[in-house]
Amino acid sequence: MIPLLILTPLILLAALGAVWKARPVHAALLLALTLAMTAVLYLSIGADFIGLVQFMVYVGAVAVLIVFSLLITRPGDEAEELVRRPKSLATGLVCTLPVLGVLVFQVSRLANPAALVVEPRAVSVEKLGITLFTTHAPAVITVAVLLTAVMIGAALFARDPGKKPHTPSDS
Amino acid sequence: MSLLAVQSAVPALWSPELLPRLPQRLVEMILQYFGAPEWLVSIAGFIVAASTVVGVFAGAFALLSLIERKTLARIQNRIGPNRAGWFGILQPVADGIKMLTKEDIVPAKAEKVLHLVAPILIVIPAILALGVIPYGRDWTPVPLELGLLFFFSVGTLTEIAVFIAGWASGSKFPMLGAMRAISQMVSYELPLIISALGVVMVSGSLSLPDIVDKQGGFHLGFIPAWNLFTPWGLVAGLVFYIASIAEANRCPFDLPEGESEIVAGHMTEYSGFKYALFFMGEYLGLFAISGLGITLFLGGWQAPLPGLGFVPSWIWFFAKLAVIIFSFLWIRGTFPRVRIDQLMRFAWLCMIPMALLTIPAAAIWHFAGRGFLSWVVTIPLLMIPWVIITVIYNKRLSPATRTYRFADS
Repeated sequence: MIPLLILTPLILLAALGAVWKARPVHAALLLALTLAMTAVLYLSIGADFIGLVQFMVYVGAVAVLIVFSLLITRPGDEAEELVRRPKSLATGLVCTLPVLGVLVFQVSRLANPAALVVEPRAVSVEKLGITLFTTHAPAVITVAVLLTAVMIGAALFARDPGKKPHTPSDS
Repeated sequence: MSLLAVQSAVPALWSPELLPRLPQRLVEMILQYFGAPEWLVSIAGFIVAASTVVGVFAGAFALLSLIERKTLARIQNRIGPNRAGWFGILQPVADGIKMLTKEDIVPAKAEKVLHLVAPILIVIPAILALGVIPYGRDWTPVPLELGLLFFFSVGTLTEIAVFIAGWASGSKFPMLGAMRAISQMVSYELPLIISALGVVMVSGSLSLPDIVDKQGGFHLGFIPAWNLFTPWGLVAGLVFYIASIAEANRCPFDLPEGESEIVAGHMTEYSGFKYALFFMGEYLGLFAISGLGITLFLGGWQAPLPGLGFVPSWIWFFAKLAVIIFSFLWIRGTFPRVRIDQLMRFAWLCMIPMALLTIPAAAIWHFAGRGFLSWVVTIPLLMIPWVIITVIYNKRLSPATRTYRFADS
């Protein structure tokens, strides 16, 4: 309970900072911090596997990808961003408030929330893997096919048509 | 009989096998003698165990910084550092004093906080990763059930740290270095992790001490049952070795800090102790990734020949580490730096396909009984694509022939 009480405000603060910061790089780093602290939250409640995977996938891959794409973009859009802010704030609220409302409504409808709590340490990684690849195999395969299609599509988009692979010796 | 069991469960305090854990056990014994509560004893024991690992590898880092300069000097027909102390043995101390007393310069355009955070963030994952590696039969600082996953998870933090360093410096060379570093690390992390998957499949465990235990014993009485001496293990081990050189940003994959091109990459705007931290993080990371490679493919602390069990197991681990590190130095002294397009092409056209092939090969190895049939099936499975990649794609993999417009005629 104590890690939850310490981490939740920190996560919320970092998430708000990620939304509020005008500088894209600061926002991206705060997003990475938010995701990392969520991973720590998972670890603290005993969900080791999901915590480490959260860290590896979201901090190591997604945040790095965002940060890398920011490196390629041009800096100095902060003033423009500040002008845009009221509008983007309104859009964000319109998108997120219904989701929050549904979540709060569903949670409040639960008769006995404590009954949902299971002992996470009882679930071993082996058990998790067996469940994932037997009961939930169709979902895993669907996601795999989708990701492969996305990757091939991205490669097709990135390819410059009608131009041979460039090497420095061409010029 | 019961007395014997107790004795084997609690070996002698002074046995060489347990020498590295001596500080931890001494502290625990002293605290227990003074009647400290159980939680205090275990926390103090953990802190001392962690300090032992950090101390050992900080010492190894100091030693390596000298050995590297000496080895490179010998390879390049020079003498190397020979002024500080006997044969330059005090050179690391001199380096340390110089680093600590230098002025800490923060560029005017830098982001002050992030500029400070980056060198700290680069050392932390290396130290965390060193904590889960089994160094000896009874010496795993933190025996995690998900050790391998933990190792790769904290390893990803390095990329963020390098990016922060490059971006927060507010200068163009660090920025270019960070871009190179991230693209290189992302590309080579894929083969690194995929090549480790085969070991996980065959061992059936993500725990690093378990993986080492599974590699015990000998084939035909003298060939150690390490993962390297299987068809898939050889390929995965080589892929892991090359990818780990690239992950550690070492020559010939040291583009992110290529001195002759972009000064020192993301470290350009750092001086004094912060620069020393970068240096330390890089070398600790090198120890960590080599240690992981030894654990996965070279049998960890297992002895290389039967009948050598009397030598403490951690000596074997560090002997293997020394050999691997020396091979890194040799490569650094021998090969020129690759170009960025060669680097990327090599990763995506050679390393990743070969790493992916080790997964079905490991699966066949596991289910076909690990005997003659497994060898017959897995060798062609790995050899034929390898020949195709090297022969047919040789033109694309090898450096494009350079033409010099003005010098050739």
